[in-house]
Amino acid sequence: MSTTTASRPARIDGRRLRSERTKQLIIEAYLALLRENPVTPMPTAARIAERAGYSVRSIFERFPDLNKLRAAAADYQLAQAAALAPPRNIDGDRHTRIKSQVETRAGTCDRGVALWRVLIFSIDQDEDLKPRVRTARERTIERMEIMYRPELSTLSERDRKHMLIALEAITDMESWARMRELYGLSFEEACGVWVRAIDRMLPPTPSV
Amino acid sequence: MALPSSSLDGRRLRSERTRQTIMEAYIELLRERPEIPTAAQIAARAGFSTRSIFERFVDLQGLSLATVDHAFAMGEAQAVARNVDGDRATRLQSHVETRAHTCERWLPVWRVVVANQGKLEDLRARIRFIRQAIVKRMELMYRPELEVLSAEERRDLLIALESLIDFESWGRMREGHGLSFEEACSVWVRMIDRMLPPTPPARP
Repeated sequence: MSTTTASRPARIDGRRLRSERTKQLIIEAYLALLRENPVTPMPTAARIAERAGYSVRSIFERFPDLNKLRAAAADYQLAQAAALAPPRNIDGDRHTRIKSQVETRAGTCDRGVALWRVLIFSIDQDEDLKPRVRTARERTIERMEIMYRPELSTLSERDRKHMLIALEAITDMESWARMRELYGLSFEEACGVWVRAIDRMLPPTPSV
Repeated sequence: MALPSSSLDGRRLRSERTRQTIMEAYIELLRERPEIPTAAQIAARAGFSTRSIFERFVDLQGLSLATVDHAFAMGEAQAVARNVDGDRATRLQSHVETRAHTCERWLPVWRVVVANQGKLEDLRARIRFIRQAIVKRMELMYRPELEVLSAEERRDLLIALESLIDFESWGRMREGHGLSFEEACSVWVRMIDRMLPPTPPARP
């Protein structure tokens, strides 16, 4: 009796874990297809299933429709951005902080631009996407508030808000994509553009 | 002998006017709803038959491209460069206000164009062309400041400035952050002022 009760939750946990893993592989397959063919914002369920190595049925067992898969992909990417891009060098000197923030943001943009475009272009048709896009933008601003605290602390509340709006515009995903795709800049060159622009925009660093 | 030519001219003029009315109906519909309208919707709005659309445009794609060109020409006509020889503050104010008016008027149309660029290479080429025009305008307005920079520094600064004054950046300030037209202009003016190098003294 005791063996049965003990093994049941373990079996359920294992099943849940496998199902969660399948979900993740489906999302990753969707993201991979987007990166390969950004012109098709929503590949067919059959293509996603094929790439993930599952049946179409297993997709719809986990996601009621493809819009929900897209929203889940946005959550996945937000979580991934948070995990892969923790704030670094927050107590460094001005140059170190700018470089660190820019490189982290650049990595997030490089990984996320394909899905980002889909979210932006589908936002009017899918209410679920609005809060996700808002969260992504808020996180970018929050990160800059942490990284540039010394410089921002010298500004009035209004000027700080305006500065963050402008910094967010400069470091937008599309801004990154244009540097890479339209101007053909390398990752390092594109980071250099942002580093110099942010350095010009921020007020002088107050002395400690 | 003079009559056939003048009646031909009159017919051409009417046909050109019809073309323009169709494109303006298209733009109006884009402003109301961010998606490409059907030929029937455009015809109904313009007050013509669907057939008269396809007498003037090969297909809906051809009409879309012609409309983007028409919109760009209208945008350019509304955004004449002013105060090119003014002092720094005047040039900044003038450039930003002109750009802001363009964004305010054309953001809905821009969004649809960008959203559909994946479907049509010609549309992508138009987007590149419009971005180049935005950069050229900054080169004109900020010539004194840009001249002091190396070619690479100038390119980098223009890339960053272009991101700052992007249509969507304007849209976020107005829709997302709820700034008034004047407040949003003031953000751009102050930020461009910070990013530009000092203005060199005027040559005698």
